[in-house]
Amino acid sequence: MPSCSRATAPALAIAIATAAASTPAIADGFAVERLRLAPPGAGWIALDSLDMRGGLGGAVALSGGYARAPLRVDGTPVVANQAFADVAASVTWDRFRAHLGLTSPLRVSGRSTGVGAARIEAPDVSLGRHPDTLSDARVGASARLLGGPAGGFRLGASAELRVPSGDRVDYVTDGTYRGVILSSFAGDHGALTYAGQLGVHLRPLDVPSIPGGPRGSELLFGLAVGARLPFGPTAIVVGPEVFGETALRSAFGAQSTGVEGLLSLRVEGTAEDGPQLRARVGVGAGLDPRFGAPEWRMVFGVELFGRTGHRSAKP
Amino acid sequence: MAQRVTPQACAKLPSARRLRRAAAWIVAAIVALAPAGAAAEVSEAAPRPDDQFDVMNVLAHRGLHDLRDERWNAYGQVTLMGQYKAPFHAPYTNANGSIGSLSPAAEGSFTGTATVYLGARLWPGAEAYFAPEVVAERPLSDLHGLGGAIQNFELQKTGVVTPQIYRSRAYVRQTFGLGGEREERLSDPLSLGTTVDSRRIVVTVGNFSVVDFVDKNTFSGDLRRQFFNMAFLTHAAYDFAADARGYAFGGLVELYLDDWAVRVARMTPPKEPNQLAIDFRIGTYYGDQVEVEHVHRILGKSGAVRLLGYRNRENMGRFDDAVAARRADPGKNAAACTGFSYGSANPGAPDLCWVRRANVKMGVGVNLEQHLTDDLGVFFRGMFSDGQTEVYSYTATDRSLSFGALARGAPWRRPLDLAGVGAGVGWISRDHAEYLGAGGVDGFIGDGHLRQAPEGVIELFYSVNVLSSLWVAADWQHLWNPAFNADRGPVDVFGARIHAEL
Repeated sequence: MPSCSRATAPALAIAIATAAASTPAIADGFAVERLRLAPPGAGWIALDSLDMRGGLGGAVALSGGYARAPLRVDGTPVVANQAFADVAASVTWDRFRAHLGLTSPLRVSGRSTGVGAARIEAPDVSLGRHPDTLSDARVGASARLLGGPAGGFRLGASAELRVPSGDRVDYVTDGTYRGVILSSFAGDHGALTYAGQLGVHLRPLDVPSIPGGPRGSELLFGLAVGARLPFGPTAIVVGPEVFGETALRSAFGAQSTGVEGLLSLRVEGTAEDGPQLRARVGVGAGLDPRFGAPEWRMVFGVELFGRTGHRSAKP
Repeated sequence: MAQRVTPQACAKLPSARRLRRAAAWIVAAIVALAPAGAAAEVSEAAPRPDDQFDVMNVLAHRGLHDLRDERWNAYGQVTLMGQYKAPFHAPYTNANGSIGSLSPAAEGSFTGTATVYLGARLWPGAEAYFAPEVVAERPLSDLHGLGGAIQNFELQKTGVVTPQIYRSRAYVRQTFGLGGEREERLSDPLSLGTTVDSRRIVVTVGNFSVVDFVDKNTFSGDLRRQFFNMAFLTHAAYDFAADARGYAFGGLVELYLDDWAVRVARMTPPKEPNQLAIDFRIGTYYGDQVEVEHVHRILGKSGAVRLLGYRNRENMGRFDDAVAARRADPGKNAAACTGFSYGSANPGAPDLCWVRRANVKMGVGVNLEQHLTDDLGVFFRGMFSDGQTEVYSYTATDRSLSFGALARGAPWRRPLDLAGVGAGVGWISRDHAEYLGAGGVDGFIGDGHLRQAPEGVIELFYSVNVLSSLWVAADWQHLWNPAFNADRGPVDVFGARIHAEL
């Protein structure tokens, strides 16, 4: 009946418009975690010592960590708690390394809030609800291009692919492939050891609707300086690691830059024969706690590393 | 009114004639395939061929790795399976708003999995294993309509076409030697190469599937190389506690005394039936199992007998409670569920959603394997579960049998080829049948009506070793009485599989 259709159409349009106005859009999540764990065998927690050497070798690492409030929106911690366990392995040959890393989010939770018409739902990830979830897998390769494994200056390059895994609503993934290309440097001068990095995080996702959300590709930077203290067949390395990122589209803007620091301590075997253990712990805070940098963070891990073949290392 | 199915009653059913024919085929196949002579150790793990291409063999050949005393190992696999289900006869499908029917139309299905197996020795006797996996799948009819004879064992209850990465296993094993002879344990996925005491206690804690360790069978279990159908993975009636992918958290203690082994395990169930979320209240809800194993030799040929009992305490519904609740209050029907349900829209049907509470399910089973020759072995499994409560983790079958034979291609100079023929049959209890007959849905079955009969499958496959670590297989399955319903089927499924090991 045409007359009926004419009468009901405006009412239907008004109803739909009203419903649309009163139902806030729900913003999708993204990968909040900003700590890029260095490949197993790289020494530091976040940076790379570039000391690959010898014949065929490798490392297996088990790490865990907790970050407090890495995502706040207008003061509300949308992601208030973020705990993870990470398993990673690497294979080295001479000055080359390939690695695989997989992270299990153990707890990701927070408080929901709204920004304008958009509702931002907090994640609720726990081992019970998500017993086998893995967030984005990391597959990468590194090479030392200049310098020996124990020299005063080493220069290297690395690339890493992030394979999407998990759900965006859990704030553990962007749901897209991502890439990291880094230029790294490191060196040792007596008891002083240092490492740094500069690179690009190729990130397609742009979420302007959430303050602190990703804004596309990012510039990565980091620097670590420490003291290496020999202690029998082991060495203790202690020092700060500072790292961060800024979105290229608004470089070093207040809402698009995050910087955090970790005071890291590691104890590692130094013998050249047989597998060695490395234990490490880091405690730190967001120096500029925005854009994924947490209020505070702790990281710990153990690593088994070694080489099965031997090639002469040239310092 | 559905009838209780007894072995005597089964003999009167048309499907039983098919079963007898299947048994005849299997005997014929065994006779045809059996080569003369023999003397081997096939039920013990076969040594890895020196020319097999995998990471550890390559390293060992270059002198960079000791397979007999491993500190670590890494393996991988990729399996792609595609299947076609031919159209079949069905007078009704999803009757009265039910949702559990296998579609009678032609359908295609696939699964793809890739797994990395990492192992490392932590300290003397201690090993850690970690296995990430990726899966993509498209099941037949959204996985509905088959009880225990699901045509592809790789299918997961939460699987989707988009690849999903997850952690399948992460656990630690500690071995305590008790003496006896020294036995070599071979390097394999989830197994570091080493030597162990023939008398030992092994404790496993973490995230794994209980069928990684319990109800193993040399000829019916490693389904990425062997049979396709889930009826051959373990007892179809063994509703072992696990999440929707088949994994759980828990602990397992194994005692090995030379030819004997005893295994005791407690595992976490899912919070809701057939779902992914785990209930960690392992003191309240759990799946317990005890297995006794004896390995033996008959006429010089190795074999094994395993007795398995399980007892689950889970938040599940009883079939008789659901039917009684619907009778007492028609408002408690499948379409009106307020708690977890499978989404049936049948207002005249009972539903388990109204009656879930702490209930117990139990079952006992026997598992046999026997080498007949170097290259031919047979297997048998049978299990009886009480059949009073809903499927919580595995299949809707209450009683199951499976048997068959597996042959290597050595007699025809294809030693890495595999050929297999097997049959699986499953039954449901009287209460279960009454519930389904009233239109109820149990897990992934429920046609809206039921003419109760045993569900069965006969499967025949041949797997060709194309390269040293690459197999291509062709498979045929004939299924009858899908979802225990004599009104529907039979169904033919044709499949192919590509399997690579790294």
